[in-house]
Amino acid sequence: MRSRDFIRYAGGSIRSHRLRSTLTALGIAIGIGAVVLLTSIGEGVHRFVLQEFTQFGTTLVAVNPGTVTTHGTPLGVFGTTRPLTLGDAEALTRVAHVEAVVPLAQGNAEVEAAGQRRRTTVFGVGPALPQVFQIPVGAGRFLPEDDPRASRAFVVLGSTVRRELFGTANPLGRRLRVGGERYRVIGTMERKGQVLGFDLDDTVYIPAGRALDLFDREGLMEIDLVYAEDAPVDEVVAGIRRTLVTRHGREDFTITTQAQMLEVLGNVLTVLTWAVGALGGISLLVGGVGILTIMTIAVGERTAEIGLLRALGCGRPQIRALFLGEAIGLSAAGGLAGLTLGVGGAQLLHALVPLLPVRTPWSYVLLAEGVAVLLGLLAGALPAERAAHLDPVEALRAE
Amino acid sequence: MRARDAVHLAGRALARYPGRTTLVLLAMAMGVAAVVVLTALGEGARQYVRGEFASLGTHLVIVFPGRAETAGAAPAMFGGETPRDLTLEDALAIGRHPSVRHFAPVIVGAALASFGGLEREVPVLGSTAELLAVRRWHLASGRFLPPGDPRRDSGGCVIGAKVRREIFGAERAVGQWLRVGTSRCRVLGVLGSEGRSIGLDVQELVIVPVAAAQRLFNTPSLFRILIEARSRDAVAEVKRHALATVRDRHQGEEDVTVVTQDAVLATFDRVLQTLTLAVGGIAAISLGVAGILIMNVMLVSVSQRTPEIGLLKALGAPPGQIRRLFLLEALVLSAVGAILGLGVGLAANAGLRTLYPVLPLRTPPWALAAALGTALGTGMGFGALPARRAARLDPVDALAHR
Amino acid sequence: MIALDRLTRVFQVGDQRVHALAGVSLEIEAGAYVSIMGPSGSGKSTLLHILGLLDRPTAGTYRLEGRDVTGLDDAAQAALRRDRIGFVFQFFHLVPHLTAAENVELPMTLAAQPPAERHERTDAALGAMGIADRARHRPDQLSGGQRQRVAIARATVMRPALLLADEPTGNLDRRSGTDVLQILERLNADGITLLIVTHDPEIGERARRRIRMVDGLVAEDRRRDDRRREAP
Repeated sequence: MRSRDFIRYAGGSIRSHRLRSTLTALGIAIGIGAVVLLTSIGEGVHRFVLQEFTQFGTTLVAVNPGTVTTHGTPLGVFGTTRPLTLGDAEALTRVAHVEAVVPLAQGNAEVEAAGQRRRTTVFGVGPALPQVFQIPVGAGRFLPEDDPRASRAFVVLGSTVRRELFGTANPLGRRLRVGGERYRVIGTMERKGQVLGFDLDDTVYIPAGRALDLFDREGLMEIDLVYAEDAPVDEVVAGIRRTLVTRHGREDFTITTQAQMLEVLGNVLTVLTWAVGALGGISLLVGGVGILTIMTIAVGERTAEIGLLRALGCGRPQIRALFLGEAIGLSAAGGLAGLTLGVGGAQLLHALVPLLPVRTPWSYVLLAEGVAVLLGLLAGALPAERAAHLDPVEALRAE
Repeated sequence: MRARDAVHLAGRALARYPGRTTLVLLAMAMGVAAVVVLTALGEGARQYVRGEFASLGTHLVIVFPGRAETAGAAPAMFGGETPRDLTLEDALAIGRHPSVRHFAPVIVGAALASFGGLEREVPVLGSTAELLAVRRWHLASGRFLPPGDPRRDSGGCVIGAKVRREIFGAERAVGQWLRVGTSRCRVLGVLGSEGRSIGLDVQELVIVPVAAAQRLFNTPSLFRILIEARSRDAVAEVKRHALATVRDRHQGEEDVTVVTQDAVLATFDRVLQTLTLAVGGIAAISLGVAGILIMNVMLVSVSQRTPEIGLLKALGAPPGQIRRLFLLEALVLSAVGAILGLGVGLAANAGLRTLYPVLPLRTPPWALAAALGTALGTGMGFGALPARRAARLDPVDALAHR
Repeated sequence: MIALDRLTRVFQVGDQRVHALAGVSLEIEAGAYVSIMGPSGSGKSTLLHILGLLDRPTAGTYRLEGRDVTGLDDAAQAALRRDRIGFVFQFFHLVPHLTAAENVELPMTLAAQPPAERHERTDAALGAMGIADRARHRPDQLSGGQRQRVAIARATVMRPALLLADEPTGNLDRRSGTDVLQILERLNADGITLLIVTHDPEIGERARRRIRMVDGLVAEDRRRDDRRREAP
């Protein structure tokens, strides 16, 4: 049979029971719609989180003290016998391919200026911070290249702190107290927003050496660095390891590349997205049972027609193909409708709740339609088989 | 018509076409089973978390160094260094309150532990004798840190079973000298408890006196202070007292965050409940799809049984009765399907419980009721159209089957 | 063109074996006009089904146009049904959701013939049946007689060699029934071998050769020139 005639015949059967076919396709549509909507949200969140991460650039490497971790954070951050020192940070600048290094100490202290006080996060960092973390300076300049062990009492404000303490007035050159010590403001940072729970704007930046003194600590919390884009990451990591092992005597630190962090995060998010999609898939499965039911009924109703087709010389494979074609036609149509529902719903949700990121990659669209077609194939298989093996004599006997 | 006869008729009508009836029941059962199992998982997770919290003692108050101005920002999950340290003296001052039953200062870090030729980097917890009580841990052998002035290093330590295995191997651990960092301590006991604490496997810990930890990591500042209040009502009092004490001792600076376990638990609880609701809701979409199938099948049924309906009308059945008869069929379909699904779902729960005894899988009653209610509601709702069609058939046409 | 040799068909009904055909041997020449009559249960419908390759005999052979078609596989039999055999049924068996024209062209559609050719032949066939104006109607919009004409048009559109009719007038009123028979006989006059199964003696007597079946065997086999031949 020619394909066009085949389609017309199957279409004719589907159209002759308009309501029934619509309802059957609707079941599939709801299932596909649910899956597409949910995975779109998952995919949107995935993309969003990764973007948050990679806004720091992709050639970032972090070194932390200690090798034992808790919740993914190296324990040595809290207490260690072998701290990472400013000297270590300095040594790392000489590793091949390394472009910039930032020592990092973090604490919580009260900042006081012009009678206003605010409790805020204090980052002790080096002058390369804007380069390493790609945070642009708003006004003034960042910390200068002082000797880390004798750095001047300069501070750079995050945008929230600047606003809270100085309002619209220009803070450059003003003096304030950080944890009781006096500092002079030499710059402010641009708004960066929140990154994975860290508010980068509600912070102040002082030289790392001063921070260590302020918090009475010997060791840095972390050393971050960026390497040249085209450099092989393994080489860089090896260089870092060599340098620090030489200085510490053993490998009592953890090196994490951006790629590693992204991979772990990416895997977790992918699993979540698929899990959520599977939830929606339950409805799809029920929709498949719907196709199976309706096709079974149809075969029962159309035994005479089947008998006739056989009498006219239609072979078994053709009968099977005809009924499979109807099942697939129903599910494919339902799939398309479901895609519209799902994508449309996702966009609507995003419009109503702009905070919620959604994304429907083309691969999902194709996959969804593919799944719908496959479901029709599977659900229609049994009824089509029964139709093909119907005894024409018996079939014609029934009116 | 009597109810029993009506149900009997409905049952016969459904049994006439066993294939399609079975499939519809399957669809409905799948939906209900999904809701039952998924909400059980969510509820199980919630109860698990509650259980974990319960094992910590329900009147726990935790003091963190550092405070965030903006709500929601994590108050120093890292560092939390402050110009004024949270000190052992602070802890002692806070602990001196009648409403405090136990309190334990905590310092954490990582250090190299070694014995004989074996060495390993281990997480180290510096604390006092009361930690055992506060965390509700128990010992497998030996004893815990001795009570006494926490400002003095008693020279003992307690290790987790994993540490014991990996560093001491087959040898006896209790009584041996373990090298931790640059100093030594005598192993007093081995922990028997399982579980995790601040993300660490308890079995991998080495617990030393807080003074030893201070020296080891060269810092006087505490990571946390764990406090167990005497009673639920005392919790608020303890929290107030802790904040006041710190303020007094830190020159008016309230540079700590005090968290009650109840508050944390409440947050977890809310989150998990919302999650369970969401998951259950998504699964319930499948009930809607099953309802559509019921409508579809009932419509076919009505058109196939037109002569029968005509006969009923000729015998004097009013339209309302015909409609009710068909509604009843839809109801029976959804009810039986729902009950089947309930059975399968509950059986699956039981099966999962034996596989993963750690999760208390139980479908919350509200979910059961919601699943059943939705199933019946969809059945009735989607059965309405076919029932109305049946009721509206013209008797003469129906009998002639045109 | 048809040669049956000891054709047997046994059915299993519950725990009983029913001999619908008990060894029928027959020869029918091309262009014949044969009626097959008999009481219900005599095996006449079974014989028709086997002749139409809808059913397989339990034993014996069936040669069609010189070829042994008894053991052919399903696909080959289907092809023969499509190309060489036409059916006309008591209950018409038109596809309810296709128009008259679409019903007629169904065999050609199954044979994957190009649309233009199909339309041409369909128009001709419907015209020959006198119902060209009903081409676009659905079966439920046609009278019984019209429906049977559509069925005949469908049965003959592939120019089969053999036309099998099972109680073709059973569902028609007298007038339509006569019309249909005349159409069938006209087709036979054009050369198609015509076999009609009927229980109505008036219809049966119109045929040039009358076969009577009883209990799965040929009891009588008469030709128009009144030469009687009894089956062994």
